Amino acid sequence: MRLLISADIHLGSPIRSAALRNPELGERLKQASRDTFTGLVDLAIVEQVDALVLAGDIFDNDHPDLKSRAFLIAQLSRAAEAGVPTVLIRGNHDALLDHRAHGELGPNIHLLHKGTPTVEIAGVAFHGLSFDAAHETKSFLPDYPVPVPGKRNVGLMHTSLDGAAGHDPYAPCSSKDLMANGYDLWCLGHIHAPFEKVSGPVLAVMPGIPQPRHFGERSGGTVTMVTLADGPPEFQRHDIGRMGFAECALDLTECTNQQEVLRSLLDGLRAARVDGRDTAVRLQVISDRFATEMISELAGELLENIDGVYLDKVKVVAPPAKPGAVPDDLVRLMQEELDESGFRLAASEMLEDLRLALPAEIADELDEDHLDSLLAEAIAEVSKTLHARGAE
Amino acid sequence: MRLNRLDLIRYGRFKDAEIVLPKHGNGAADVTVIFGPNEAGKSTAFHGFMDLLFGFKGGAHPYAFKFERSDLLVGAELDLPGRGAVILRRNGKRSRSLLDAQDRPLEEAILGGALHGLDRDAYTERFSLNDESLRRGGERIAGAQGDLGQLLHAGVSGLTGIAATLDELSARADGFHKKHGRATWLKTGKDRLTEIGRELRADRLTIERERSLRRDRDRATAAFEEAAAALRQAHQRQAAAKAAQVWYGRSDELTRIDEALTAFPSGPDLPLNTSERVAGLVEKIANLEARLAEAAEDILRLDTAISENAADPLAEPLAAELARLEQLTIDGAPLMGRATTAQADLARRFDEIREQDRLIRDVLTKLSVSEEALSVLVLTPDALEDLNRATQDVLTARAAAKAAQDRLDTARKQMGEAPQEPQDLSALRAAHDAWQTVADLTSHETATDQAAARLTDAVAGLPATWKGLIEAGLPARETVDDVAREYLTLTAQLTSAENERESHAAELAEARAEREAQEAAPDTVDIASTQQARRTRDLTWKGHRAEMTDRSADAFEEAMYADDSARAHYQTGTEARQRLQAARSRERTAQARLDTAKARLDDIADRHGSLSERIASISRAIGLPEDSAASALAARHQTLTTAAAAAADLANAQAALKSRQARKAAALTALSEAAQQVGLDTDIANLPSHALKSLTLEDSHRQAWTKWQKAQETVAELDTEARQAGSERDEAERSLDSLTATLPLTDRSPAGLRSALPHLRALQQLHADRQKLSTRIEALERAISAMKDGAKRLCRILGTSEDEALTDPLRVIDDARARATAARRADEKRIEATERREAAISARDRAEANRNEAQSELNDCFSGQGASDLAPSDRVAQLVERDRQRAARATADKERKSARDSVDPELFIDELARLPDAVRATELEIEQKDAQDNRDAARDAQREAERIYKEAFDAADRSDLATEQATILEELRDGAHRAAVARLGVLAARGALRRLAAERRSSMLQDVEEAFVSMTAPAWTGVDVWSQDEGEKLVGIQPGGGSVPVEQMSTGTMGQLYFALRLAGYRAFARDPGPLPMVLDDIMETFDDTRARAALQLCAEIGKGGQAILFTHHAHLVELARDTIPGVGVVDMPA
Repeated sequence: MRLLISADIHLGSPIRSAALRNPELGERLKQASRDTFTGLVDLAIVEQVDALVLAGDIFDNDHPDLKSRAFLIAQLSRAAEAGVPTVLIRGNHDALLDHRAHGELGPNIHLLHKGTPTVEIAGVAFHGLSFDAAHETKSFLPDYPVPVPGKRNVGLMHTSLDGAAGHDPYAPCSSKDLMANGYDLWCLGHIHAPFEKVSGPVLAVMPGIPQPRHFGERSGGTVTMVTLADGPPEFQRHDIGRMGFAECALDLTECTNQQEVLRSLLDGLRAARVDGRDTAVRLQVISDRFATEMISELAGELLENIDGVYLDKVKVVAPPAKPGAVPDDLVRLMQEELDESGFRLAASEMLEDLRLALPAEIADELDEDHLDSLLAEAIAEVSKTLHARGAE
Repeated sequence: MRLNRLDLIRYGRFKDAEIVLPKHGNGAADVTVIFGPNEAGKSTAFHGFMDLLFGFKGGAHPYAFKFERSDLLVGAELDLPGRGAVILRRNGKRSRSLLDAQDRPLEEAILGGALHGLDRDAYTERFSLNDESLRRGGERIAGAQGDLGQLLHAGVSGLTGIAATLDELSARADGFHKKHGRATWLKTGKDRLTEIGRELRADRLTIERERSLRRDRDRATAAFEEAAAALRQAHQRQAAAKAAQVWYGRSDELTRIDEALTAFPSGPDLPLNTSERVAGLVEKIANLEARLAEAAEDILRLDTAISENAADPLAEPLAAELARLEQLTIDGAPLMGRATTAQADLARRFDEIREQDRLIRDVLTKLSVSEEALSVLVLTPDALEDLNRATQDVLTARAAAKAAQDRLDTARKQMGEAPQEPQDLSALRAAHDAWQTVADLTSHETATDQAAARLTDAVAGLPATWKGLIEAGLPARETVDDVAREYLTLTAQLTSAENERESHAAELAEARAEREAQEAAPDTVDIASTQQARRTRDLTWKGHRAEMTDRSADAFEEAMYADDSARAHYQTGTEARQRLQAARSRERTAQARLDTAKARLDDIADRHGSLSERIASISRAIGLPEDSAASALAARHQTLTTAAAAAADLANAQAALKSRQARKAAALTALSEAAQQVGLDTDIANLPSHALKSLTLEDSHRQAWTKWQKAQETVAELDTEARQAGSERDEAERSLDSLTATLPLTDRSPAGLRSALPHLRALQQLHADRQKLSTRIEALERAISAMKDGAKRLCRILGTSEDEALTDPLRVIDDARARATAARRADEKRIEATERREAAISARDRAEANRNEAQSELNDCFSGQGASDLAPSDRVAQLVERDRQRAARATADKERKSARDSVDPELFIDELARLPDAVRATELEIEQKDAQDNRDAARDAQREAERIYKEAFDAADRSDLATEQATILEELRDGAHRAAVARLGVLAARGALRRLAAERRSSMLQDVEEAFVSMTAPAWTGVDVWSQDEGEKLVGIQPGGGSVPVEQMSTGTMGQLYFALRLAGYRAFARDPGPLPMVLDDIMETFDDTRARAALQLCAEIGKGGQAILFTHHAHLVELARDTIPGVGVVDMPA
């Protein structure tokens, strides 16, 4: 039996990257979560898998829209008509999957929950329990059905694996207990970075988010194909995401003019290119001469001629000071200034003014906790801008 | 650091070129003018100097046009602090590119320390100046608006863009967000987010919205169902009216039919298809009558045929006898077939047996034996085969015995005489091998000589007591190294700590003086003093009001002025108080640093003393004076260690040589004993070589002996084979004799038998064929006898004479067969006629029964019906018409009942009661149409509600808006971050610049003023600092005391001010952390001679504290420098 496993689709949740300010890319990826899910169903049909398994968080609480539910049903019905049944559970984002409020999903689409925790497909028993609330602090594992003797048993669980029991609100479960439960395969959800665990003949798969939404989810973008034959389960990851995130770290301390910077940027950005999908690049630059604004402008110009690569964010940090170096007077005095309570008070007030003007969703960017790191960046930015002007 | 010489070894157009910068003594300024025309390579030289200090940049090199980048090489002699003159080189490698004079890689730390951690860019910014940068710097410092901090920063760092930088950062922050800004990035973004949020909320199919849409849809559905029910009711009434109309019409029709039926015959309704059935029965009865007549004729004809074919009484016995004859067989074949040909075949077989007898006689004649011996000579095939095999075996065995005897004779001839048996020389060989391994002493003797030579070298510089020192035990090498390293470190730390203590003492004195100066300034009055002044004023006022005298008035006036002064100073003294606060803070810091430096110095001094004692102890142990330097310990320790190792090597080599000599003598003795045992002469002088000769010949002796032994074994094997072959030959001959002993042959030798064997095989074959012929003739004679016997029996059945059976039995048998065949044919015809007659009788009986049955059935068709006087066809026509009328009546009745039963009974009764009513149908039509219209409208409304509900799910997904929303938020997040960084940067930079002004003004302002006045006199007489709300500002002072803000100075003056700031910055750097070469590239080409002379004097000031290098292509500047700077060095650019 072959299974296509996915989780954490978060239908309707958009990609959060400044890279999408590019009009073509924005247009192409405006429905990235839906398009990726459609691609996932296409893959299941083309590969003629025996079942499509979705381990929770199909929807996103921040984007509650019954149209997404209609879309899900249309896609899963398409798979069912092509001979691919679906087994799924609710995660902590899946209020729209409440069968009591919204009804069943359709033939050959099996939502597992307390009332119906097991379904058998082609001689394999699938077991799963669903979230009934956004937060569940207890492990679901003790409530899972015992393995069916003489059959292969597959479990679906949405869990913050190895989270702190009683504190973690996402059904924390010990991976050791999970692997010793007696099932042959665990299809997991909730953690957006993919991984697999193997313990003897037991395999646990966390397929990861199929379409990463931001730089922090850059390890996602995959689904997992599992083969259940006579031996231990075998797995293989498939790339599915329409856009990936990549880090491009460049040391520009040796560059003394824009041409050299352009050359380094071009090499780095070209290296980030991946055939067949778009890539949003986060530039991490080491330089004491070129400021963030300039690097952003130069990278933007270069990317106009590199297909499939877009700029997510630029961060420029200064190289570490050489041992014994006489510090720049201005930098030294700015650092001394930071220790003045009056200065910190003024800086905090200034930060608060700006923070209060921001939309609530991004106000955390200027939290008081970030003041020290912002000040360190500020000193570096003054120095770099000043030196860049000196080099003009 | 000082540059003594720049070596352009392979760099740019230069090859092995050098620029020597002469050192100056007697306190002269260290200034070197390097003269060269345009394109002489001044920029190349400066670039080469930078490459030497900081390494080559990656990528293409601008001066790699004559030499490949990998071949570029630049060098210099530098005076480095703490190291003195050092020659360095730099190649183009990416790592380990800094080399010494012998091209050995050096650590970058050698230069890093001397450059105080400056990188290439910082060095260029701070320690180089050309005409262009001087002019531009002058223009740019105008942007500082005279801000003292910014100007001093420009002087210190060489960077002039601080004002523009702060403006740029402020503009960046304001571009993102500014209070009440209408077109800021944040405002625009937030507006768009509001729009998107509104659209998304309107578009989103939430659970609540879905519930509302579902409610609308359900309401429309209910309205539709109600209208549909009304329409159904209208349809039902309309149908009831139609049914009542049908009932009304059909009732009239029933009355009319009942009247017509009275004219038809009575009786029940005819069964279905009675008319056709009656017609069929009439026709059937006529056909059956015709068939009865034909059957009677057939019966008569068949009775005649039976009588004509009566039965034969002899047929059965004849058939039985003929069958018996057919069953008889002779030798497995049917008798009749055999007997028919037997008589003709018998004569031919007798001829064949006679020919066989003749051939047998011929063979006996060839074998020369009589006919009586025939029975003995006819052998079986197996006996013939045994005789043939035995004959062949004798011949084969005789040949094999002869061949074996031949091989034996040949081997005996080839074996020859036996050689002498060899001796066992293994003991001799072992002894010789043992002697050989120890015979050569050369390597041991050489090793002993070499060890002795090494020992002599090792102890050459040691005192005579070196052996005693080694035997007493040397300290561990790690201990010696650790002590030496620690000593050097502590010595350096001691010097450093002393310098540090002095430095901090000076710092404390300076800080204390500054604090005292600040405390003396009136502006530093604090709030307590102002409050005290106010209280004093109030008290004197009270006193004055009480006294109202001149004294009290003066006192009050004084107190009032004091209070006003305190208030005024307090209000204007914010910065002065801050400076006082800072001065006190610096004094405390300096005091703490001094205390720390003293403690550290004491600690290091203690550790240094303790370590010196350990060094004295180690010196004694390795034979050095107790006051030896720590650096000498490791070398002496190494020498002693080497000497100890060499002495041990010599002793080992001598012992090894002696041991080898003893082993050689013992091996020779053992060899002599072994030689004696094998009979060699042991007295001869060269025993080892004789033993080796014997050992060498041993192999050939042993090979000859082995060969003879193998030949002897071969002869024995061949002898055995010859005996075996003779025995086999005798056995074969005995076997043949036993087989031929009884045969009456004349020659029974193997050759004679090989000739007789073909005849014996022919005789055996002829005899067998004759036996077969005899058997066949007997069988033929038995068949003829049996046939005649059968013929006799047939004659007895037929009653004829048996003689004919003996003469021609075949004809008798044929006649009997003909009689039996004729009887059988007559039986067949008679039987067939009988069967056909019985069939005809049966057919006649069936036709008769059928006719009777059809007549009965016809009668049944009219059972109970009237009009019996009519012919069946007419009668049935009357009855059919009657039944048709009856059926029309039933249909009309059924239709009216059906119409009534298909509608609502109440509505039916209601509508029937209205009949006849001509307008009722129209009324109902109008009612139904109204209901239909109502239903259609409700249906449309229901469909619309359903469509809206469905479209809500099918509506285009507005992920584009959500994506745009997320993108804008990410952009704003990034923008907010950058704006915060920019704004905080400006805030920090402005504070830092104020600090810089406070920190540097005392040390730099005087230098700035001196330099500025020196270059600009008499137009300018000094500089001053104004305190304003936005900070301190530098102004220029003109003769007469007038002041001019910096930004109002001419471009040239600002350039000279910038130069003055840079020179002051250089002097500040040279004081701490230390001087570096300052490179000035034709900065005075736009100066007039007076100003150029003044600038050169300032360069001399640089040269007093550090090193100034002036590149110029103006010869008059060279002369001017010679005139202005005593002892200035002038060198030409190399060709």
